[in-house]
Amino acid sequence: MTVVQVVINSIVRASELTLLSLGLTIVYDMLKFANFAHTEFAVVGVYLALFLNVTLGLPIIPAAIIASGATGVFSILVDRAVFKKMRSSSGIIIMVTSLGLAIALRNAIRAIWGADAQNYAVPLQTPIITEYFRITPVQIWIILVGLAAMFAFHLLLHHTKLGKAMRASSDNPELAQASGIATEKIITWVWFMAVTFASLGGILIGLETYILPYMGFAIIVPVFCATILGGIGNPYGAMLGALVLGFAENFGLYIDFGNIINLGGILNFSKELFIPTGYKPAISFVLLILVLLIRPRGILGKKKEG
Amino acid sequence: MGLVNFLVYLSIMMGIYAILSLSLNLQYGFTGLANFGHVVFFCLGAYISTIIVLVFKMPFILGLFGGMVVAGLFGYIISIPTANLKEDYWAIATLAAAEIVRIFFLNEDWVVGGGPYQGGAFGIGGIPQPLRSLFSAHTYPFFYLAIVLVCLVATYIIINTLTQSPFGRVIKSIREGDNLPQALGKDVKRFRMKVMAIGGSFGGLAGCLWAHYHGFISPNQFLPLETFIIWAMVIVGGKANNKGAILGAVIVMIFYNSTRFLKDYIPIEAVTLASLRMVAIGILIVVAMLFMKEGLIKEKKTLY
Repeated sequence: MTVVQVVINSIVRASELTLLSLGLTIVYDMLKFANFAHTEFAVVGVYLALFLNVTLGLPIIPAAIIASGATGVFSILVDRAVFKKMRSSSGIIIMVTSLGLAIALRNAIRAIWGADAQNYAVPLQTPIITEYFRITPVQIWIILVGLAAMFAFHLLLHHTKLGKAMRASSDNPELAQASGIATEKIITWVWFMAVTFASLGGILIGLETYILPYMGFAIIVPVFCATILGGIGNPYGAMLGALVLGFAENFGLYIDFGNIINLGGILNFSKELFIPTGYKPAISFVLLILVLLIRPRGILGKKKEG
Repeated sequence: MGLVNFLVYLSIMMGIYAILSLSLNLQYGFTGLANFGHVVFFCLGAYISTIIVLVFKMPFILGLFGGMVVAGLFGYIISIPTANLKEDYWAIATLAAAEIVRIFFLNEDWVVGGGPYQGGAFGIGGIPQPLRSLFSAHTYPFFYLAIVLVCLVATYIIINTLTQSPFGRVIKSIREGDNLPQALGKDVKRFRMKVMAIGGSFGGLAGCLWAHYHGFISPNQFLPLETFIIWAMVIVGGKANNKGAILGAVIVMIFYNSTRFLKDYIPIEAVTLASLRMVAIGILIVVAMLFMKEGLIKEKKTLY
């Protein structure tokens, strides 16, 4: 594998993680709890798209858009039924509730669609192959949608009334409400955006690889890691965290650590030393624990006042 | 499977899970530590005890102590980076730590002695059962149940004594926020680490009992899902109440094991049934958190 290829893989991974972490971070910012059901919502979208695409025969692009929107609405309903009743509870109570919800969603999907891997009905992807790298059209889509999501979030937060209201409500909900901001309405929008983008991210991952009921759980630690890495509650932090993690996961397996120990060939302490591929999922776990150890508020996180 | 055999099996499972539930309750219920990786202690206890007994040919009792010590040490070590963090960070950090250990056992087969189809994803079979030769196949489960009950009673007494001691008052005050215990000069971080170590070693005890009862372990038995079943037990039974933790384990275990008979009455596939069972556990957690925050047996509020 060439370095160019590893860079491309890293960017693809970073885009996927961005789509999922942005939502996690804005929900945290708004409602002050770590939503363990976040990636499971994404999987709901993935299977809805599968239903629209394979069972009803819709082309994948409208299927993905409709499924993601529908999942966003679904998350609002769940919020009304469950989380709304807990607005004044402590973060830990809501977090445990979201965990219960995650288990229920994941297994409901498994009960309905089965535990086997499935695929969307899309024509076989012909990758673009050059001397240095290969990239599939789906991977290009992932990068484009990831970039679009980042741009959309930036515009939203800083150039719309909704974004201003969001930032105000997360800073000080009472003050925001007193100034005439309908906090509950903002929360509804936050859920919709968070889950719609997460669902898009999930569908793109499903297109690139395959669809499994457990894919939400497989990605939850990387998504949390990206979010915490950049500073939880900060959308720009989530983007940066996703980028760092995307590169760490791919370069972690690519780099010969033996060469580093030998200082690039000057010494001869160690043989070739690569991280075994079986440990790829562990990279984000280890990175997460390191971040928590060194800088728990994340790269862009602000120091807590008071 | 006869009814008696099934009831003995169910009781053994209840006993093992009650130990897990008691140890998680010490961490979450009493100290407020959102440990989402409790299964790691279960896993470590099972693996370390297996290695000691199967690979090093040591007696069962040493395996039991070894498993407890290593699991406790691990609890102590993972709380070094996390002890000062907020609860949401706790949850994800412990979840990650548990997965790292599981991935380690999944990839490294040499730790259990290697050999064809041994270790790694294959799991390890042939774990000896203690004093097996003294009993017949029919009476042995009763003897094992006795071992489990002795361990459960010991766990209950130790954790109950601990939570009613001055130590217990400190950890409960930590749960309510760091300011008060800090103002009283308590080293909050050290207390959290101790709680993780104590809870961890009892989790390890449950793992040892589990491994030597089934005689087979594999990394797939220690998925994060197990942690969440233990969470359901603590939440339903009543957090910060040791009797509640045991009651929760009994209820969830009865529910979990009795639903398997449903397939004899309703035409449903086993995989679907297993999924629906977990849906019910998830909903149980949500409903309990919404309508029954204190659980079935409430925490005793005592004035000092």
